[in-house]
Order: sequence, then C-alpha cells, then structure tokens
Amino acid sequence: MSEGLNYKFLVDTFFIALSGVPITLFVTAVALLVALPLGFLLALTRINQIPILNRFSQVYVSFVRGTPIIIQIFIVYASVPLILTAFVEKYNWNIQIYEINPIWYAFIVFSFSTTAILIEVFRSALSTVNKGQLEAAQAVGLTNFQAYRRIVIPQAMVVALPNICTATVNLIKATSLGYAMSLQEITLKAKVAANVGYNYVEAYLDIFLVYIILCSLVEFGFKLYEKRLRKYKYVSA
Amino acid sequence: MLEIKDIHKSFGKNEILKGVDLTIDKGDVVVILGPSGSGKTTLLRCINFLEKADSGKASFGELKVDLHSASKKDIQAIRQKTAFVFQSYNLFNNKTALENVTEGLIIGRKIPKAEANEIGKKALDKVGLSDKYDSYPSQLSGGQQQRVGIARAVALNPDIILFDEPTSALDPELVGEVLTVMKNIANEGTTMLVVTHEMSFAKDVAKRVIFMDGGVVVEEGTPHEIFVSPKEERTKKFLKRVLPEDYTFYI
Repeated sequence: MSEGLNYKFLVDTFFIALSGVPITLFVTAVALLVALPLGFLLALTRINQIPILNRFSQVYVSFVRGTPIIIQIFIVYASVPLILTAFVEKYNWNIQIYEINPIWYAFIVFSFSTTAILIEVFRSALSTVNKGQLEAAQAVGLTNFQAYRRIVIPQAMVVALPNICTATVNLIKATSLGYAMSLQEITLKAKVAANVGYNYVEAYLDIFLVYIILCSLVEFGFKLYEKRLRKYKYVSA
Repeated sequence: MLEIKDIHKSFGKNEILKGVDLTIDKGDVVVILGPSGSGKTTLLRCINFLEKADSGKASFGELKVDLHSASKKDIQAIRQKTAFVFQSYNLFNNKTALENVTEGLIIGRKIPKAEANEIGKKALDKVGLSDKYDSYPSQLSGGQQQRVGIARAVALNPDIILFDEPTSALDPELVGEVLTVMKNIANEGTTMLVVTHEMSFAKDVAKRVIFMDGGVVVEEGTPHEIFVSPKEERTKKFLKRVLPEDYTFYI
C-alpha cells in the first residue's frame, strides 16, 4: 500500500486518459453531425404540425428523455448484434458480428439520444422567432427555404446556441458511459490503467481533469461563436 | 389592374370574408375602413397569400389565379408584383435597415448587390432615413421601423403596395411621420390598398373608400360620398363612432 497519491502514476495516467480524447471527440462529432440536421428537421415537423411525423417526434422525444443513457447503451449493445445475427444467417453476409468495433454502437446510441435533445432545443428556439418574420420574408418574394435560411434560422440559432452548447457538453460527458461497451475513450483508458495497481483515486482525478478541460474549451468556443451571432442584438445606437 | 372576385375565408366556424369583390386601377389609392373583425386585414392577407382563401379569384393584369388553389409559381409571381407593409413592421431583426430593404431585391429578384444597394439607399432617403442605413431594427423607434418597412415595400417597385394598419402599433406622436411618408408615395402615383383607422388619411389621400363590416363590402365611393353622405345605416353608425360629433367635411 502506498501512502498518499502516487504522483508519477497521476501524471502518466493523465496522458493515458488524454489519449482517449480523440475517440470521445469523434463520437461526439458524429453524434452532432447526425443530430443537428435530424433534430432540426424533426423540430420543423413539430412546429408546422406535420401529421404523423409530428406525433412520431413527440413520442420519440419522450422515449429517449424518459430512459437513462446507460440503459439505452445496454439495449443497443445487446439487441443490435441479435438483429444482425438474424440478417447474417438469412442473407449469408460475411460479417463477424462480435468483432464489430463498439464505436459503431456508440454512434447509434449517442446520435439517437442527442437527436431527441436537439428536437426540443430547436423547437423552442424556432418558436421564439415571430411568425411575422417568415411572412415578411415571403412578402418580399423569398421562397420558404430562403426565408428560413436567411431570416428565421439565424435568429433561432442565437436562442438555440446556449442550449446546443449544454447538449454538446452533456454529450461529451455521456460518452464516458461508453466504457460499458468497452469503447476506448477517456474513462475506460484511465480505469484500465488503474486496474493494474489499484490507483483508482489518481485515475479518477485524471478523468475529472480531462473532462473539465475538454468541456471548458468547448464552452469557450461556443461563447465566442454566440457573441458573433448576437451582433445584431448588442449594438447600441 | 387588380381584380378580386368573390373571396371567401373562414377560420374554423367563423366566416370572416363572405364574398368580397374588389377592383383597383393603376395609380389608385384605396382605403378600407371598418370595425375590428370586419375582415379588412384578412382580405389583404388573402391577396398576398399570407392566408389561403377558401375560394375566390384574382387577376393581376395578365395573370389570373385562383386564390384557393394557386400553384407555388403563381403565388411567387403575385408576391413579386405586390409588397406588404405590416402592422407590427416585421423588419428582419438580424438585418440592418439597408439589408432589410435590399433582401427582397438581391435574394427574391436576383438584382446585383451594388445595384440593389443603390435602390435601397434611394428608398431609405425617400422615407427620411438617410442616416440610418446601418442601424438594426432594435436601434430604431417604431416610426422609423415602419418607415423602413415602407421603404422595403417601395424599393421592390411593385404594382401595388398593401398596407395593413401601418400606424396602429405606433405611439400617437409617431403616427404623423409615417402618414407623411405614405402621402408622399401616394402623390408619386403609387397604387395603394390601405387598411387603416386614420380617417384623416382616408379623407385627404384616398381616391376611393371602401367600408367593410361583417365580412362584406357595405358601401364604397369617393371620400366625399362616404364621409359626407353615406347611404347605408351601418356606415353612418360607424362614422358617428369614430368621428367627432360636430365634424364638418370639406373637400
């Protein structure tokens, strides 16, 4: 038993944890790339009361919001291989199901859950833009698409951005649950390192540090972007 | 130039327009008067397809469309011929005054940016906002915002400008500046269809006044006919309410 913290291990493991950052960011980026457009489109179906899709989004959001991410991970991680097995046997595909990189499961789970969050983020943001903005754009001869792209979305984004930032940071933190499906991200790497000499406190401190640095950087980036977008609200006469 | 035939529109069970006909010639300034809920605004919005009428026909010179089932292309074509000034201004909050005016020119009508800026500046000069090109709507007073709204409409050089109660949302002391601008562009021969509660504007500027109530046109005529010798009982009642007792009308 060592007394106090093992500082050498603390420093070494910090870099091991840091080596998990690319995977964490990769999963985050893919989830956002899927969820941003999908969440936006489904939010539009909610706002414009498109039949069926509107209802679908509503149910989808309550399902995802009403279940812990760890359970979503277990379900996807357990059920997708079963479904795939059925397909593989039926069509004689040449896939080794149990050798699939868990990052694919991570993509699925985190895209699904982030989409649900962003539907609500975009829905509330779009509803803050007065209907008159769209009407005025149509009246000066813009198509619906142009009106959304040039008038409605820029204004909605200003409102949505702080919440997108929160969603992104939550997503980064949630990827730590990826260790449950042996995703090689920050938490798993540090924990594995700790297993050797039971230096869990040091490992957890490292994990803590890496996440707080990562999330602070992301928040800072969002703040800068928000400042630029809000230009029209801040200028004074 | 603009002819509307038998336009109907209901919101749920509430029938707002019960068959309205309307003809406007080039250069006319037509004012629609009437109590709240008489369908004036809805009529205007249906003409520009901001609401979809239940039935009715419109012809714009050569262009004839069904107000209920017009194609996207026809709607776009009509919107290119009209401009709309809103009660609540509806300036694009994320654009400067000049960008508000040029947006429809550059994006909607594909006019090159430099030329659009020229037109936009001229339009803003016309409404007396030469020093506000780069101001955002949040930096402008209500009266200034509505003048930008009018400049935005004028710059499109439309066949007709539709005004939906352009001064109703303004503080009383700001109404004058907007009415002055409207009078100026009316004097330049712009065709205008104006829904308003400003009786003075109707009397001084309108060529024809239409009185609507309960979703139909009750009476129409020159300002003199409507204000001095209205024929219908409903018109008389309405004017009595909105005009001072001892008002005498000179033309």
